[in-house]
Amino acid sequence: MSLGAWLELLASGLITGGIYALVALGLNLQYGLMRILNIAHGEFLMLGAYFTWMMQTAFGVSPLWMLPASFALLMMLGLAVHWLCFRRLAASSPNLDVFEARGLMVSFGLLFLVQNFISFLWGGELRGYDFMAEPLKLGGAQFAANKLLVFALALLFSAALIVLLRTTLLGKGVRALMQSPVGAQLVGIDTKRLHPLMFGVGLGLSGVAGCLLSMAYTISPAMGEPYTVTALIVITLGGFGSMSGALAGGLLLGVVEALGMHFTNPSLKALLSYAVFIAVLLARPNGLFAK
Amino acid sequence: MSDRHLVRDVLILIGLAVAALAVPALGSEFAVSLALTCLMYIALASSWALFCGRTRYLSLATSAFFGIGAYSGALALQHELGWLSAIAIGAVLATAVAALMGAAVLHLRGTYFAVLTFGMTELIRHAVTYFEKSVTGTVGRVLTVLPERDTIYFTLLALALLAMATSIALRRTRFGLALAGIGADEQRAQTLGVDTRRVKIAGFALTAAFAGAVGAAMSVRWTYIDPPTVFNPFIGFQTVLIALVGGALTLWGPLVAAIVFSLLAETLRLQVPQLYMMSLGLLLILSVLYLPGGLASLRWAMARDAWRALRGAWERRLG
Amino acid sequence: MRGAPFAARGSGALAETALLEARALSVRFGGLTAVDAVDASFAAGELVGIIGPNGAGKTTLFNAISGVTPPTSGQLLADGRDMRGQGPHRYAAHGIARTFQTPRVFADMTVLTNVEFGMQFAGRRPGAAATAALRTPDTILALIGLAAQSALPAAAITPSQQRLLEIGMALATRPRLLLLDEVAAGLSEAEIEAMARLVRRMRDELGLAVVWIEHAVTTLLRHVERVIVLHQGRKIADATPAEVVRDAQVIEAYLGDEMAQPPP
Repeated sequence: MSLGAWLELLASGLITGGIYALVALGLNLQYGLMRILNIAHGEFLMLGAYFTWMMQTAFGVSPLWMLPASFALLMMLGLAVHWLCFRRLAASSPNLDVFEARGLMVSFGLLFLVQNFISFLWGGELRGYDFMAEPLKLGGAQFAANKLLVFALALLFSAALIVLLRTTLLGKGVRALMQSPVGAQLVGIDTKRLHPLMFGVGLGLSGVAGCLLSMAYTISPAMGEPYTVTALIVITLGGFGSMSGALAGGLLLGVVEALGMHFTNPSLKALLSYAVFIAVLLARPNGLFAK
Repeated sequence: MSDRHLVRDVLILIGLAVAALAVPALGSEFAVSLALTCLMYIALASSWALFCGRTRYLSLATSAFFGIGAYSGALALQHELGWLSAIAIGAVLATAVAALMGAAVLHLRGTYFAVLTFGMTELIRHAVTYFEKSVTGTVGRVLTVLPERDTIYFTLLALALLAMATSIALRRTRFGLALAGIGADEQRAQTLGVDTRRVKIAGFALTAAFAGAVGAAMSVRWTYIDPPTVFNPFIGFQTVLIALVGGALTLWGPLVAAIVFSLLAETLRLQVPQLYMMSLGLLLILSVLYLPGGLASLRWAMARDAWRALRGAWERRLG
Repeated sequence: MRGAPFAARGSGALAETALLEARALSVRFGGLTAVDAVDASFAAGELVGIIGPNGAGKTTLFNAISGVTPPTSGQLLADGRDMRGQGPHRYAAHGIARTFQTPRVFADMTVLTNVEFGMQFAGRRPGAAATAALRTPDTILALIGLAAQSALPAAAITPSQQRLLEIGMALATRPRLLLLDEVAAGLSEAEIEAMARLVRRMRDELGLAVVWIEHAVTTLLRHVERVIVLHQGRKIADATPAEVVRDAQVIEAYLGDEMAQPPP
C-alpha cells in the first residue's frame, strides 16, 4: 500500500476515533460521576444529527451554527431528563446496585422513546446533506474537507473539556466527586446542582458529536446504537472515570477499527465490536488501565 | 416456603388453561393469533421472572435463547426430526449456550451482567448473520415443513402452563429459597452454605430452556426466518418489560401484563409501530420510577390512599 | 518484639487438628495492610475473644477466615485442609459460621424462614451435629428467644432482635466454629450480660467453638478463656484474660488510642 493510502486509512480511523472519543467522554461523565449507565447515549447523538440536518435542509442554517445550538438543546434536554427521571431514582433507590440497575432500565426506555420518536417523524430512510464536501490533497493522500473539519473540531472539544476539568473550579469539583463522592460532599461540593449539570453536559457533547457526524456522513434513526456500544468499549478500555483514557481509547479504537475493517471483512465490524466489548468487560471490569 | 398462595396460584393456572383451550374452538383467526402471542409472552416472562425476578440479575439475553431455539428447531424440522424433537433440541441448545454464558458472566454484579447479556445477544445475532452470509450465501431460510396451527397453539399453551407451574413449584423448593437468598443478600447466602455460582448458572439455564423451546415453537409461525427476526432484541426487551411492569416476583403479575401488552401489540403495532414502541419505552420508564414492584405491588390500600390524597388536594383548591 | 512473653499458648500446640488455623495470614488492600502476618488457631470447644482498638483489623480477620475477603498471603487451614481462595460456602461446609457486625438478615422473609435458610443449606451437610437445640428452626428460635416473632418479616423486628436473629441464622448451619462480630455493640448493660450468657450457653450446651470480637471488653474478659489482642493489624497478645490485662503492649495499645477504653 502506498503512503497516501496508509495516510488515508489512518486518517479515516482517527476521524471516527475523534467522534468515539467525544461520545465516550460524555458517557464517562455520566457513569463516572453519577453511576448512570446511559445506554441511550447514542440516541441523543442521533438527535443532534437530526436537529442539524433539519435546520440545514429546512432553513438553510449552516451546521457550524448548529454546533453550539445542538449543545444547548441537548444540554437542556439532559437537565430535563435528569430532573424527571434520575433525580427521583436516586432518592428512591435503597442502594447503589439497585440505582444502577434501575438507571439502566430507565435508559433502555429512553432508547425506545427517542429512537422511535425520530423514526415516527422522519421515517427510517437515510438522510443527509452536503457540506464542505470538496476534497483536499495533503501529502499524496486525498481527504474530504468536511471529514478533516469534523476531526479537528472533535479533537478540539475533547481537549477543551479535559482542560476545563483540570483547570476550572467546577471541573476540579467534578473530578473530586468522581474520585471520592463522600469526601467531596464533605468539603462542600454540591452534588444536587452538579449532577444534573454534568448529565446535561454529557448529553450536550453527544449532541455536538451528532452534529459533526451529520456534516460528513448520512444519518438514520438507528445510527446511535453502534456509537453507544463503541463508547462503552472505549470507557471500559480507558478505565471508568478516566477522561484522558477515554480520549486516548477513542482514537485508538477508531484506528484499530479502520485497520481491522480494511484487512478483514467490513461486515465483521459489528461482530468484532461486540466481541471486543465482551472480552474487555470480562477480563477487566474496571478498565484496562485501572490499578 | 409457604403454601399461603398455593390454592390461589393453582386456580389461576387452571383458569388460564381453560380460557386458552376455549380460544381455538370458539375464536376467530385473529383471536387465535392474539392468544398465541399472549401465551408466548406468558411463557417468556414467567420463566424470565422466576430467575431474574428473584435474584435481581436482570438478563437481556432472552432474544439470544429465543433465536437459538428458533434456528435449531427450524433446522431440526427441515431435517424431518419431528415436532417434539425440534422443541427439545431448541431447548437443549439454548440451555447449553446459557450455561456457557452464565459461567462466564454470572460472577459479575447486576449492571455489568445486564449490559453483558445484551452485548452477548447482539454478538450472537451478528455472528449468525455473518455465518449465514458467508457460508450459505443467503440470510434467512424458508421453512417448508410446517405443523398445524393447533399443534403450535397447544405446544405454546403447554409451555406457558409449564413455566407458571415451575414458578409455583420453585417457591417450595430449596432451589427457590436459594434464588431468593441470592436476590436478598448474595454474600450472606454464601456464608450460609449456598453455592451461588452453581445456583445462578442453573437458574439462568432454566430460563434459557424455556426461551429456547418457545423460540423453536414460534419459528414455524413465520414461514421465513432470518437473524433480524428471530434474534430481534425487542423480544428480550418486551419480556423484561412485561415481567417488570407486571411484577417480577409474583405469578399473576406477568400474566396480566402479558395479556395487556399482547393486546396493545396486536392492535397498535401494525398500524403505528413507532408509537407502540414509544409507549413501551414510556411505560418502562414510568414503571421503574413509580412502581418498582410492578403492577402486582399495587394494593387496594394504596389505591384508597391515592384516592384520598387526590380528594384532599382537590378540596384544598376549592376551599 | 512481636508477641508478649505470654503469647506462646495460642499457636496450635494442641494434640488434635485445629478447627481453623491461620498462619502468617495477611490481608492488604492497595497500600494498606489491614491484617499483618497473624497466627491464630481455634480448637473445638474453645471460647476465644478477639479485642483491639478501632482499626486493629478484627473484622478484616474475620472476613479472611470465613472466605469473605481473600487473604493476600499466608496459610489458612480448616481441619488441616487449605482453604485459601475458597468461597464462603465452602467455609460453611466445613462448619464455620459467622455473624456480621451490622446484622444482615433477609428483610422480606419471615424470622422463621431466615433461620430455616441456613438449615436448608450448610446445615444439611453430612456429619452436621444436630444437637437437640439445633434440630429445627423452632428450637433455635427458642434458644435465642425469638419464638414469639417467628411469623414476622425480619424487617419488622427491632435491631437488637435482628442481632439475635443473625446469631440464629448462623446457628442454623449447625457449625462447629461460630465467629461472632461485635454482637453486643450498642446494647444496654443488662442486654450485654444476657448476650454473654447466650454465648456461654452456645459453647457449653452446644459444644461449639466460639470466637468473639467485642468492644465491650470488660464483659468479654469475664467469660472467655483465651484472648487474642490485635493492634494495627498485628497480633500483640494471645493468652488468658488475666495475663492479657497485665501485658504492657496491650495497655499501651489501648492508652495510645484515645477512642478505646483501656481494660480494667
